[in-house]
Amino acid sequence: MNTFFPWRPPLEENWAARVAELEAIAAGGEMPDYAATRSVANHQLGPRQQLRIERLAKRLGTIKGNGFTRIELGLLGNRTLSYLCDPLGAAGLARGLLVSVHEAPYDRVAGFAFSAKNCFERGLDAVLAVLDESALQGERPLLDRAAEDEAVHEAERIASAIAEAARSKTGCPAIIATLPPCIQMTSADIATPGSIARFRLRVNMMLGEGAAEGRWLMWDQAALASRIGIERWFDPIAYHSAKVPFNVELCPLAADNIASLLAAITGKSARALVLDLDNTLWGGVIGDDGLAGIRIGQNSAEGEAFVAFQDFVLRLRERGVVLAVCSKNTDAVAREPFRRHPDMLLKEEHIAVFQANWDDKATNIRAIAEKLGLGLESLAYVDDNPAERERVRRELPLVSTIEVGEDPSFFTDRVAGSGLFDHLPLNSDDLARASSYGARATVAEIRARVGNYEEYLKSLEMRMTISPFDEVGRPRIVQLINKSNQFNLTTRRYNDEDVRRMQGDPNFIGWQIRLDDKFAQHGTIGVVIVRKKGSEWEIDTWLQSCRVLERGVEQSLMNSLIEQAVSAGVVSIRGRYIPTERNAMVSDFYQRLGFDLAGTNGNGSVDFICAISQYEPHPVSMNITLCV
Amino acid sequence: MSDHQLYLSQIAEVIRELFDEYDGPITLETTARDVPQWDSLSNVRLMVLIEQELAVRFSTAEVQGFKNLGSLIDAVVKRKQN
Repeated sequence: MNTFFPWRPPLEENWAARVAELEAIAAGGEMPDYAATRSVANHQLGPRQQLRIERLAKRLGTIKGNGFTRIELGLLGNRTLSYLCDPLGAAGLARGLLVSVHEAPYDRVAGFAFSAKNCFERGLDAVLAVLDESALQGERPLLDRAAEDEAVHEAERIASAIAEAARSKTGCPAIIATLPPCIQMTSADIATPGSIARFRLRVNMMLGEGAAEGRWLMWDQAALASRIGIERWFDPIAYHSAKVPFNVELCPLAADNIASLLAAITGKSARALVLDLDNTLWGGVIGDDGLAGIRIGQNSAEGEAFVAFQDFVLRLRERGVVLAVCSKNTDAVAREPFRRHPDMLLKEEHIAVFQANWDDKATNIRAIAEKLGLGLESLAYVDDNPAERERVRRELPLVSTIEVGEDPSFFTDRVAGSGLFDHLPLNSDDLARASSYGARATVAEIRARVGNYEEYLKSLEMRMTISPFDEVGRPRIVQLINKSNQFNLTTRRYNDEDVRRMQGDPNFIGWQIRLDDKFAQHGTIGVVIVRKKGSEWEIDTWLQSCRVLERGVEQSLMNSLIEQAVSAGVVSIRGRYIPTERNAMVSDFYQRLGFDLAGTNGNGSVDFICAISQYEPHPVSMNITLCV
Repeated sequence: MSDHQLYLSQIAEVIRELFDEYDGPITLETTARDVPQWDSLSNVRLMVLIEQELAVRFSTAEVQGFKNLGSLIDAVVKRKQN
């Protein structure tokens, strides 16, 4: 086997020199450049390079500095999970995360789940529980269905207890691992109640249902083990000599799989897929071969492979991934297959931004990010041409350029295997996202035509709904709080438990803001949290989705907040801007909304204040419903 | 260079990468006791790395029975001859 990470770029000659440079900076106690560090970790590492990146990750964990998203991860199991710790650090780096792993002492599962003690002795961002069935198993005599049902219930009870303990003791969600499939004993395994194979399948379905209901998060160890092959996943020698639940050699891969989930939790998954055209979506060159000459569809095996890849791309889109095209082509020529080729599954309407011209790819990818209102880090790029990939990697290291190879039959495996588009159980807002971005690009075009901005806003027929935090809205609220980076004044992250607490606390105002217009239902696009401190209120959190910028949302929302303040007899409202590398777009937010500068703090954050009596309401161009 | 010396030099590189704080000698007589970072946990990792580096696979019994690097390399040489 060549590499665990075929979707990552191969090691270049100067890899070791680049690492040495970063190691030297880290040795001096400084945080090295974020993009450069992420990029050296994100390679097809061999065993020794892997060790080196693990060491770098450990070192960086001790250094203060910006860039990486820090995650304190608890590790809980009834087998030896120690071999995951260092690889999780390395895997995190490749995805922009600094993961510090806190391993519970051996076999503390029951103690953590059912006693009052917290074996982690600290708060965490997530607890990963990897149990094997000896932690779950009740008596299951063969063919005894009732006993099997009972054993599955018992497993559910343990999973619930772990999730509850994670919430109450460490203030974070639990991630529960599915059970790997076992080596087949007979053809009748899953038809035989009481068999191990059948028990594992049922437990995994139970874990999936619980995850869909939001009771816990799930690491699908079973899916990864199947991908690798069960005979390789389970290493009986290591198991019998050291109680290692899966092959130590595979830990870097398992860690990467977990890191993609952590990236999804912290909003670092990719949100848009940028596609090259010639030899990426069809075989041949449309400009040379013409519509009849390109290979797509039933005329060849290669053509079938391109169709299969397009089908996969559409399934990503269905899950909320935004699609864009970046091609060196004449625009009209590049669009022709989308419009006229009968075997193309992808149509123009699926593509939110279509960037076909003769500029270089990096320039065009930058333009795509801008049009979508997304950071470069939210983009993944697929191109069959290794030279183009190499150039984009060099010029835009934050864009995830996937090593898809040149054979379309493997494009799907590589993109799926990369885990770049990993996501938590979906909600309906996620599904609406791709078409909403499409609508957004259309809106940008209409705006150019309309000219008059006020008229343009009115023409959108926007409806804003402000409602307090509630049970139904909480998953999306937590998601927004944890993944909004750009339009986010304080970038304070709160987990599900935090938000639940605020929901019932009279000292807090928690608002979720929905927006719809004639093009799209944007869903929940904003969150505001205010701390009431007597006659003064303090805006703790103000964030908005970048899907709907420059719509007058913040002006209308501030009007509503001030109205609330007036009726509560509040004298002034304070707000704070905490600068990060991503939120410069809101540095003048409070001034634009009529707040006065109140002072600058040592850490660079800036305070603003607004005397309620001085507030001048902003003009409003939408219909507002306040359900508070 | 004899087979033993060749394998020892490959293994030494792995050991220096894994146990980066150790800068003492690495010989056929070296055992886990000589290297402070080499505990029972990291031993499993080391065995896997050596297996990857030298493209061999040790048996359950062998993994338990190595006295020092010399006896580990004896096992490697035996595998490579068969």
